[in-house]
Amino acid sequence: MNRKTAPKTNKIDAISFITPEVFELNEQTSLLWMAKVPNETTRIDLYFNAGLRNGKNAIVSMTSSMLLSGTTSMKSTEIHSRLDDLGAFFDIGLSHEGVMISLYALKKNMLEAFKVLFDSIQNASFPEDEFEEIKAEKIQNFKINMNRVSVLAQRSFQQHIYHGTKYAELSEEIDLQSTKQIDLISFHQKYYQKGLFKIAIVGALNENHIEDIKRLIEPHIISESLSFLKTFCNKPGEFHIEKKDAVQTAIRVGKTLFNKKHEDFLDMSILSTILGDYFGSRLMKNIREDKGYTYGIGTAIAETGGSGYFLIGSEVGSNHLKATLVEIKKEMLTLQQEKVSSNELQLVKNHLLGQLLKMSDGPYAMMDLFLSVESYQMSTAFYNSYIERIHEIDAETIMQTAQKYLNWNEMSVISAG
Amino acid sequence: MIEFERYKLENGLTVILHHDPTTPMAVVNTLYDVGARDENEQKTGFAHLFEHLMFGGSINVGDFDQELQKAGGESNAFTSNDLTNYYEIIPANNIETALWLESDRMLSLAFTEKSLEVQKNVVIEEFKQRYLNQPYGDVWLELRPLAYQKHPYKWATIGKDIAHIENAVMQDVKDFFKKYYCPANAILCISGNFDAPEIKALVEKYYGSIPGGLKPARLLPLEPEQKNFREKSIDRDVPADAFYYAFKMSERKNIGYYLGDFLSDAIGKDQSSLLNITLKKEKGLVSEINAFITGSHDHGLFLISGKLSDGIDFETLDSALWEKLNEIKESGFTERKLNSLKNKLSTAKAFQEQGLLNRSISLSLFELLGDANGINEEIEIYNQIENNDILRFAQSILKKENCSLLKINKSK
Repeated sequence: MNRKTAPKTNKIDAISFITPEVFELNEQTSLLWMAKVPNETTRIDLYFNAGLRNGKNAIVSMTSSMLLSGTTSMKSTEIHSRLDDLGAFFDIGLSHEGVMISLYALKKNMLEAFKVLFDSIQNASFPEDEFEEIKAEKIQNFKINMNRVSVLAQRSFQQHIYHGTKYAELSEEIDLQSTKQIDLISFHQKYYQKGLFKIAIVGALNENHIEDIKRLIEPHIISESLSFLKTFCNKPGEFHIEKKDAVQTAIRVGKTLFNKKHEDFLDMSILSTILGDYFGSRLMKNIREDKGYTYGIGTAIAETGGSGYFLIGSEVGSNHLKATLVEIKKEMLTLQQEKVSSNELQLVKNHLLGQLLKMSDGPYAMMDLFLSVESYQMSTAFYNSYIERIHEIDAETIMQTAQKYLNWNEMSVISAG
Repeated sequence: MIEFERYKLENGLTVILHHDPTTPMAVVNTLYDVGARDENEQKTGFAHLFEHLMFGGSINVGDFDQELQKAGGESNAFTSNDLTNYYEIIPANNIETALWLESDRMLSLAFTEKSLEVQKNVVIEEFKQRYLNQPYGDVWLELRPLAYQKHPYKWATIGKDIAHIENAVMQDVKDFFKKYYCPANAILCISGNFDAPEIKALVEKYYGSIPGGLKPARLLPLEPEQKNFREKSIDRDVPADAFYYAFKMSERKNIGYYLGDFLSDAIGKDQSSLLNITLKKEKGLVSEINAFITGSHDHGLFLISGKLSDGIDFETLDSALWEKLNEIKESGFTERKLNSLKNKLSTAKAFQEQGLLNRSISLSLFELLGDANGINEEIEIYNQIENNDILRFAQSILKKENCSLLKINKSK
């Protein structure tokens, strides 16, 4: 056997995507159901138009944290005990543009668990004692977070990326302090009681269960259509936040970009991967594997409903900040001036196809893929064009894309440490 | 039920095959029976540094990651005090590439002085990022040597001192590889969509000729039974006082592991757990409180940790906590509470087993403990737990003389 030569590999040309059944509840609200699941697990995701953009950050975030804190007829401990009895658990995610609540349970318990959860959300009464408890917890977490260089850098980055818009707002300790119970009650009324804009179900439930769920949610679906912030522009330049005695400095570099509706999105995704979105990327090879300045460095494209941004993030030894920024700049410039070799390009193509295959493994993954195009009124045909694009993109196009979007002087460069 | 087939190669390598026809992917998981507990006390952090070096090139392959990425795969690894685990996730039709790469670095490593120097720096940055540059980040560096006096669990996986990593030299690395990275000391688990006879032939082709080596004997210093309460108090620049009660408990193979896991869920896993309801919600003494176990293979720890509410002192928390622990030792839990915990464990396990990687890692871990089929037996063990078992367990470990307490005082 010749161990020096790699075994022959097979290419990925097509992936068969499975899509959920779609029920339109009204013009802007749909119920998605992925029914074919080969085991007993089920998940329901609820999407409410109750994101940070709709109110003061402190109020929005405290409201989302208190959704299961009690109703007029059930105390919070009773809600949690009932979900426990059913072996169910949940998590709540908050972003600028919405709140997503995910409920997990076995098939036999899902409908009951859903009733408990949905009733608690819709009839949340925000009891005084629970409110004070959450407030104290939030304030303490805030103080702890303000000791992390990654949080300091991220906050400043957010301000620079969303410069001059509502999305740039940050909450301070004083905002949490001054939030009142009544603020939460009125936010809840407006954005939860009539704010459900999507529900996604994965699991081999009965048709009857789905009908029951539809009936339960119907009075609470949103009636007006959603529109998102479409234009924002980052404030370029270098900014530093001093934190005494920090042994590492957090770095965030980025600029306003776009979401997957933009014609350059696929090319930019491929370029971003080459630069920093896999273990063998240019930045990882240079800054971690050659210089040892960091444990990790990476790039990402973050999408919002109407736009998006590009981001490079890392934490580096405090004495390596300058050198790291020089290297990041250099790597961006190299991509603008030199074509990637065919070897590297082929490797990245294969890597991306492998990732896509992994992301389509199983009904939960398929639902997530579907959700991430459905939000932009697109279909899974998007992924087929992605596969095609990966196969056909050439080094020249990558270089042009870099020239268009990787200009150092357009970047907001933030460091904290 | 997770189906699998298990056999040994002549050189001693244990092989587990788990076939799943529903996935387009495959996972190749390799577990080596070596962790931070096997390190020399003067050279700690070595098992983990070594894990980084495993990606630095092997005898016939210059760039491990590059070859894997070309085949659409990805890889990662983790080290604990007990073991080191490597995995590749790869499209099922390219599984041979993962076997080629993973077997070559079992055969022989070939990295350079430069790669050693760089990975030392990377690990030092990891040390800073996880342990030094985070509020409460160094807790385990302080707690371990308080709770353990003899057993190597007294140092953390990252090492007890950055200097140990800085001082590592090439000969250390070579000796470590020779001793621990042989087929007889490894478990290979392949999961995914494959044809069994084909995969067996490939395993034989790539691994069959690697010299078996000897499974190293493990003779670790025994931790003497703790007879007295220990306490340590440190000052840190953090916004809230924090406490860590660490109780000694049984080893992983003992039923005590399951009882500890169950009891820790009952008192401190989520919002409806006992300590959350009483000490946080009812009394407002803490802003957060958690209970969990380390799950170590040798004698582990049962922990209760949390942060004090503003204006509350350690003494108030301490007496309220012991009052609750004594109640548990006396009466345990209601039937309803025990059942709800069992239901939650069943749901959690069903979701964990959705993932091919989770299944592969679990099968390997259970095999290391003696039998991969443990993956199919654990739910039944939890389901059989009764209040009497919990009482006996709580009475035997939740004792002051079995406890080490670390207190972190916030800067004034």
